[in-house]
Amino acid sequence: MTIQRTYEEINTKIRSGKAVIVTAEEIIPIVEKKGIEKATEEIDVVTTGTFGPMCSSGAIINFGHSDPPIRMQKVWLNDVEAYAGLAAVDVYLGATQPSESQGMEYGGAHVIEDLISGKKIKLRAISQGTDCYPRREIESYITKESINQAVLFNPRNGYQNYNVAVSTSDRKIYTYMGILLPNIGNANYCTSGQLSPLLNDPQFRTIGIGTRIFLGGTQGYIAWEGTQFYPQTLKDEEGRVIYKGGTLAVIGDLKEMSTDYIRAAIFKGYGVTLVVGIGIPIPILNSEIMKSVSVKDEDIWTEIIDYSFPHLKKPSLGRVNYKQLREGKITVQGKDVFTSPLSSYAKAREIAQKLKEEILKGEFLLQEPIQKFPQESKFKPLLEIH
Amino acid sequence: MLSKKVIFTFSPQNVERPVTYQLIKDYNLWVNILQAKFEPSLGGKLVLELKGEDKQIKEGLNFVRQIGVGIELLEQEVLWDEKKCIDCGACISICPTGVLSLDKETFKLKFDYEKCIVCGNCVEACPLQAIKVIF
Repeated sequence: MTIQRTYEEINTKIRSGKAVIVTAEEIIPIVEKKGIEKATEEIDVVTTGTFGPMCSSGAIINFGHSDPPIRMQKVWLNDVEAYAGLAAVDVYLGATQPSESQGMEYGGAHVIEDLISGKKIKLRAISQGTDCYPRREIESYITKESINQAVLFNPRNGYQNYNVAVSTSDRKIYTYMGILLPNIGNANYCTSGQLSPLLNDPQFRTIGIGTRIFLGGTQGYIAWEGTQFYPQTLKDEEGRVIYKGGTLAVIGDLKEMSTDYIRAAIFKGYGVTLVVGIGIPIPILNSEIMKSVSVKDEDIWTEIIDYSFPHLKKPSLGRVNYKQLREGKITVQGKDVFTSPLSSYAKAREIAQKLKEEILKGEFLLQEPIQKFPQESKFKPLLEIH
Repeated sequence: MLSKKVIFTFSPQNVERPVTYQLIKDYNLWVNILQAKFEPSLGGKLVLELKGEDKQIKEGLNFVRQIGVGIELLEQEVLWDEKKCIDCGACISICPTGVLSLDKETFKLKFDYEKCIVCGNCVEACPLQAIKVIF
């Protein structure tokens, strides 16, 4: 008998404490032992997790109005400029924006982390002044308690798959993929592989607009497809599927988040970024979905890319799977090199476990997508037109 | 056979003493210079790996202390703030001696201080500024 489940059936089981939930790692030996059909029968939800640097992140903040009021036209939080071209006291604070006094040592991501941890943030704003908003400048301090809204809204998070970065240059280079040593001296990669949300539902059967997710320690939602969303897959000459670029735009209440699952980071020579913790529960609606979530590191392939090449299309130096990468050493053009994950597998595992526990306790219910992502998308370059 | 990594701090008064020569000749120690930074008028720092019998290492270090050279054991000089660390592993691949790795079971970072040559690569690679080297 082929199992079919609905979201409502799964949520009913969660509410009555009868749902069976495992993580995307725990499901692997279960499927190996019992097979897809039996596992589909027994398991209701599989949880995934990722905790890595996600540069396209930021926060929407509303400060409330001062008396006399000001229509803020330029705003700085701890000397980090936030975009103020939205009404009077709304800003968007980008994670990668550097501090004007400390440069790359502090940035938007640090302001976000400091806000979450309850610290006082220095606010400075200037304006031309208008009849309805006469004030021309303000300096004050804010905390997450003092402001109206602080909403994390990240336009591109949770990359489905990502390149392995190496460098053939004769000098050390500093990239968003970390420090790359000369002459293919190391290799850096950045996904949680078999635990990664979009690698466990690569066809986006259950992940779409409106999906409830674990975001930074609280419950958030998928707002849209992520920017640069590219759902198509490639097949290499040996028939292996290479996932490229499914991405997510996510949203959630910053005030409820925890610095255990959101952290500011600095990549030397590149800049500031935000390390974001995301977990997505995947409902086992049928055996096709069970097949997807039982994916193993050795079945997920990615390309080794030369980041020293200064153009958009960088040369590929071969392919490798995540089992090889996670073992700590790979061979690139005949050379054995150490690998670095950049994305924390230990934390990804912790997030998938935490999400599992929240669902088991009935605190987290599954939300069916309100709308699915597009099946196809174009990845357009920026043309220089004169 | 013991192996120890040490930092010697020289003052202008003792900067010209041939310490490595004496450790080799008088104490029969195997000496590997990992880092050296000297300015004759100001003093200097020397990071060494010493191998030898326990007694000889102790006596050799005692001699160095007697001539007024500061001694610190290297383990104390690599400061890894485990609370800040998120186990991302960015430090692993740039380490020339394989000091850093992820535990095969827990995937948490491991530090094998024995192998460390205090090059500082991990310090600049750590996105969370969780590693410091004092040199």
